[in-house]
Amino acid sequence: MTRHLRDLRVLLPFAVLIAIWWGLKDGFGISDKLLVSPPQVWSAFGTLITRGILAEYASTSLSMIGIATLISFVVGVPLGFAVGTNRYAARALEGFLRYLQGISGIAWLPLAILWFGFTHTTTLAIVIYTLIVPIIFNTMTGVRAIPENYVLALRSLGASRLRIVTDVYFPGALPSIVVGTRLGMGYGWRALIASEMLVRQGGLGDLIFGARTFNQIDRIMVGMVVIGTLYIVVDRLLVQPVESMTLARWGVLRK
Amino acid sequence: MMGRIAWKLLPAAPALVILFAWWVYWTIAQPPPSVIPSILDVVRTGAELAFGGRLAGDIVASMGRLLGGVAFGMVTGMIAGFIAGLWRPVADFFNPLVVFFNAISGIVWLPLVIGWLGVGNALATFLIWNTVFFIIFQNTVLGIQLVPEVLEQGVRSLGGGRWETIRSVTLPGALPYILSGVRSGLGFGWRALIAAELVGATTGLGQLIFSGSEYHRADIIIFGALLIGAIAMLMDRWLLAPIERRTVIRWGLVAASRGR
Repeated sequence: MTRHLRDLRVLLPFAVLIAIWWGLKDGFGISDKLLVSPPQVWSAFGTLITRGILAEYASTSLSMIGIATLISFVVGVPLGFAVGTNRYAARALEGFLRYLQGISGIAWLPLAILWFGFTHTTTLAIVIYTLIVPIIFNTMTGVRAIPENYVLALRSLGASRLRIVTDVYFPGALPSIVVGTRLGMGYGWRALIASEMLVRQGGLGDLIFGARTFNQIDRIMVGMVVIGTLYIVVDRLLVQPVESMTLARWGVLRK
Repeated sequence: MMGRIAWKLLPAAPALVILFAWWVYWTIAQPPPSVIPSILDVVRTGAELAFGGRLAGDIVASMGRLLGGVAFGMVTGMIAGFIAGLWRPVADFFNPLVVFFNAISGIVWLPLVIGWLGVGNALATFLIWNTVFFIIFQNTVLGIQLVPEVLEQGVRSLGGGRWETIRSVTLPGALPYILSGVRSGLGFGWRALIAAELVGATTGLGQLIFSGSEYHRADIIIFGALLIGAIAMLMDRWLLAPIERRTVIRWGLVAASRGR
């Protein structure tokens, strides 16, 4: 199949959807306060772009998820190693981490607001909390899935502890770490949007929730499309290639 | 002997360490209770809410929305999943839409849908449904596609019709995946519910903790958050894990995906 045709097959269902949406809007004469038509959304998109509003809100969200991912990775991976290589630590923390997974980041938002006010710090704290648990968890499972023999083999050849970490644990656990990071970014993105809605200090969540106050349905829908598109772009074009690369390179150990 | 007891008690260690650190910090730093309450405050507030307050009503409200949203998500997700799983062209056609709407599932819909449904049960149920639907749908499709074709051909060659094949092979074959989807769906639905209730409802556990921040009552928030985690854990351990285990043993051709 040619590339052209494939693009068409991706776009066709959206065209059908837009036609149905437009038909519903005009056919039933739905009020602009409930639903706007596709051209209205398109023109709101134009306005938000030319005034630079969209770029500002989107870059806030993107930098927040970027910073949160970086911090969670730098802190979470070593923690995951510490927990994964020590069976006492693993036994002590596994249940606790599972329990934390049951309390979504957003459930801590009211407390974070009391502690840090309506600031970026609050949002960052929530997103890091959401991101870091899957990273720690997957690093831990990745490390624990590495056959003990590899470690023993290196040790018997006189390798130092550091050498074992860099040569066995890290490459062995990497596929699992990347999977955890990707999952975490997915959860984190949603937590970010939710947190921005309540904190109201910029970001795409603020954009769509703020538009609600003024009944600007066109802006809400632009925001939703942008949120979904950015997520797909980051996930498919940035994170997924890294994942398949590590899986191809080091995935052998995942047995 | 000592070692074995210590090993058994180890999972309690993180909680004990946190409680101890909290207690030490609170005694030394004496922070304002609206920011960091004492452990005793949290326990007392919990007891007050449980015995005289709104807690039971909030739990019932939250659970009702969760069950409604998850049940609705299960039924629609399974129906759509079966259609897409059995007819490949349908799945191919809708796939781009599924990818896109999955990316904005849940809380992203709140600002738009709040205008359609207003604040309350319908909104919260919608947001849960929207979250759960895609998880169940994807697991159902995956489960159906992973049923070995040989088994279906087996039934056919013995004279089974299409319906017979679906009933006796495809459905039981896909069931472990579907149930594992239900399990993670319930977990995600629970998270979506709490987020939805923060702004989209007037009762429920999400509203309870949100009111805690409005009245500067950190004790309510901490108690509420811990309770939210406890309910999630109990649901998973006592309700879903056993069901999943039983079906996997009964029908599982392969180990159920964790679907975390």
